[in-house]
Amino acid sequence: MGMTRQYVAGELSVLLEHVQAVTTTEASGRDAWSLRHAAETEPIAALGSVTVRALALTERLCWDSLNRGDTAAFLRQAAVSAELHDFGVYACLLEET
Amino acid sequence: MADSHNAQDAQGRDTQAQVSEAQIAVHWREEEYYPPPPSFVAQANAADPAIFDRFVEDKFPDCFKEYADLLTWDAPWQTTLDTSHPPFWKWFVGGRLNASYNCVDRHAEAKPDKTAIIFVPELESDQHVEITYAELHRQVNELAAVLRDSLGLKAGDRVTLHMPMVPELPATMLACARLGVIHSQVFGGFSGTACGHRIADSGSRILITMDGYYRAGKLADHKVKADEAIAAAAQEGQQVDKVLVWRRHPGRYASGTPMAGGRDVFVDDLLGGHRGATVEPVSMPAEAPLFLMYTSGTTGRPKGCVHSTGGYLAYVAGTSKYYQDIHPDDVYWCMADIGWITGHSYIVYGPLALGTTTVIYEGVPTYPDAGRPWRIAETLGVNIFHTSPTAIRQLRKLGPEEPKKYGYHFKHMTTVGEPIEPEVWRWYHSEVGKGEAAIVDTWWQTENGGFLGSTLPALQPMKPGSCGPGVLGVYPVIYDEDGHEIPAGSGTAGNICIRNPWPGIFQGIWGQPDRFVDTYYRKYNTDPDSTDWRDWPYFAGDGAVKAADGYFRILGRVDDVINVAGHRLGTKEIESAALTVAEVAEAAAVPVIDDIRGRAVEIYVSLKPGFEPGPEMESKVTAAIETEIGKIARPKNVWIVPDMPKTRSGKIMRRVIASISNFADVGDVTTLANPEIVDDIRHHVQAAKVARDDVPRELTEIEFEEIKKFGGE
Repeated sequence: MGMTRQYVAGELSVLLEHVQAVTTTEASGRDAWSLRHAAETEPIAALGSVTVRALALTERLCWDSLNRGDTAAFLRQAAVSAELHDFGVYACLLEET
Repeated sequence: MADSHNAQDAQGRDTQAQVSEAQIAVHWREEEYYPPPPSFVAQANAADPAIFDRFVEDKFPDCFKEYADLLTWDAPWQTTLDTSHPPFWKWFVGGRLNASYNCVDRHAEAKPDKTAIIFVPELESDQHVEITYAELHRQVNELAAVLRDSLGLKAGDRVTLHMPMVPELPATMLACARLGVIHSQVFGGFSGTACGHRIADSGSRILITMDGYYRAGKLADHKVKADEAIAAAAQEGQQVDKVLVWRRHPGRYASGTPMAGGRDVFVDDLLGGHRGATVEPVSMPAEAPLFLMYTSGTTGRPKGCVHSTGGYLAYVAGTSKYYQDIHPDDVYWCMADIGWITGHSYIVYGPLALGTTTVIYEGVPTYPDAGRPWRIAETLGVNIFHTSPTAIRQLRKLGPEEPKKYGYHFKHMTTVGEPIEPEVWRWYHSEVGKGEAAIVDTWWQTENGGFLGSTLPALQPMKPGSCGPGVLGVYPVIYDEDGHEIPAGSGTAGNICIRNPWPGIFQGIWGQPDRFVDTYYRKYNTDPDSTDWRDWPYFAGDGAVKAADGYFRILGRVDDVINVAGHRLGTKEIESAALTVAEVAEAAAVPVIDDIRGRAVEIYVSLKPGFEPGPEMESKVTAAIETEIGKIARPKNVWIVPDMPKTRSGKIMRRVIASISNFADVGDVTTLANPEIVDDIRHHVQAAKVARDDVPRELTEIEFEEIKKFGGE
């Protein structure tokens, strides 16, 4: 129910696959997997909070990489985070700030 | 209407649409009309207003013969609409046809060299591929021979497809349809686990996939997901016997995952044994399932929407002809993914049923840059374009000046999937459409098969932000929670429903008939024993307002939103998180004005009998919200109350508790079922806030209006 916005869930799932790919620990990998699972199964109305949680995860990943001095990982994670944020705005899951 | 019920899905979630009228008032002012260009009207399929007379309610359901007559039937139907087992409507009963024949054979016979599909690979250095109807016929037949003779598939079997946007996907769908096999395509970008759940739910024993596909310039390994899918399906007790793997580049395997011996087979290897095969299309009853399309929408079992052969195909052919204005000589491009209902209806079945040329693009619209869609349109001579507001917003942001660099000309454009903001609509009209195109803004859902709300492009003017009235033969209505019709022009939002069945309506949820009735029909049904369709309005689950001109503004599935520092948090999500605490019986999230973050969340909870309030319980609720949603949703306060203020129908009055939290006037509470609780809550909450020096500043007029209307009632 709720228009045909299923494609938003689909695109978010793809982006969360990218988040999964830039995780650096087993725990963060599990978090990313859970978020992707949520995007694929929860109501469309929940996608906003899934996006917010995913952005918080990418922020954590970025800080961890910075703290370790791993700039290569940081750059990959920051790019994924930006992609996620932009999609969230285009899909009206986030407000532009 | 009589007594209403709050609809609940199989997980017991409340599915009532709640709409913030404050949001409507602020964001949805009336817009001006745009007439269609005369050049469009002159060539339109529906340019004579007499068409409205043919679809008036007095002529329902026989009016839809006009759509069914666009198809070739093996046997005519005897009953246009069978309502004997409501709300499981059956259309064109007694009729027989084959969808593959209608989309391929009859055009291959009449115009074999006509291009059916143009495939545009994502890599711009790769040439596009044109597939004629004759070639498509050959591919579909050979593949049908593989499915029937090598795999033993027959009518009624289910096959899951997990394929990207490649021409092999529609060919596979049509090969299934040729045999009466029910296809279930899962969006290619979804995980293998999601695919596995859908395999299990549908009972598929065959998975058809591809080794890889291009996305954002990279060849993604897709076959790896098949192994994940098989494992997920097995966990739910569903065995998959064979995995058919298309190769993105025939003869060259693109995946790093090994092929499982005895299970995985390359399609191009199998096809070798069936070159030149012809398979007679199986004549199917009109009501036989054509495909399953899964939707999310709950946290539980996926919902497989069952779409029929005759009713569905007639509806997408009819709406493609009149609303997409597709002529056989058009080059039509819908930029959706075939993994969604839009792609099924308006990339594959609708356009091909009409014998036109449909474009399939493999990749993302902004690869390698935001000019790509317009280069494709220019190169291929696309004259009908169809996409989503999300894609339009992205293209507008990344390349606002790009469209004017290219020499394409659209006569017609569509927006689909969500409401479009008027300023975004205007950019689409003036920049993408160059002011030359008629635009249809469409409202419908996975469950519906085809459009429900739209303008007939040559006959009804466009109005930015409004989808238009109900489409031909579809009679929408807006009901309030108690089943009273909300009149046009009142400015009041409610639940948009469809009063009548239509041929594209899905036939049920695969394997879950009770859930189908409960979710879509129970809410406004007045008599469960009635076989009169008038007693079974379809509950869409979207909020909407109807303007005085009869145009609908769809508000989407608008649960109330609390905007915390730019993050739009749905109240339903916050409340659902609080309800994961075992002791919590009810929860209601409301906004409080916060000078730093704009709004903060406060949550009210009542406990199940036998549990005591206290700081520990408050901490549990806070922790649950942080875990489920994140720190951004951390409530400023958790208020444990003995009961919530409610209407007599049991709805929590969020505006009352929002007013209490903000020290605002609670308004009239005399009509509540439990007005005495309001003072108890106020004393408890406001005394605590005063003691904590947590009294919000006085609200502005706009803030007061927002709080007063929070919760929609």
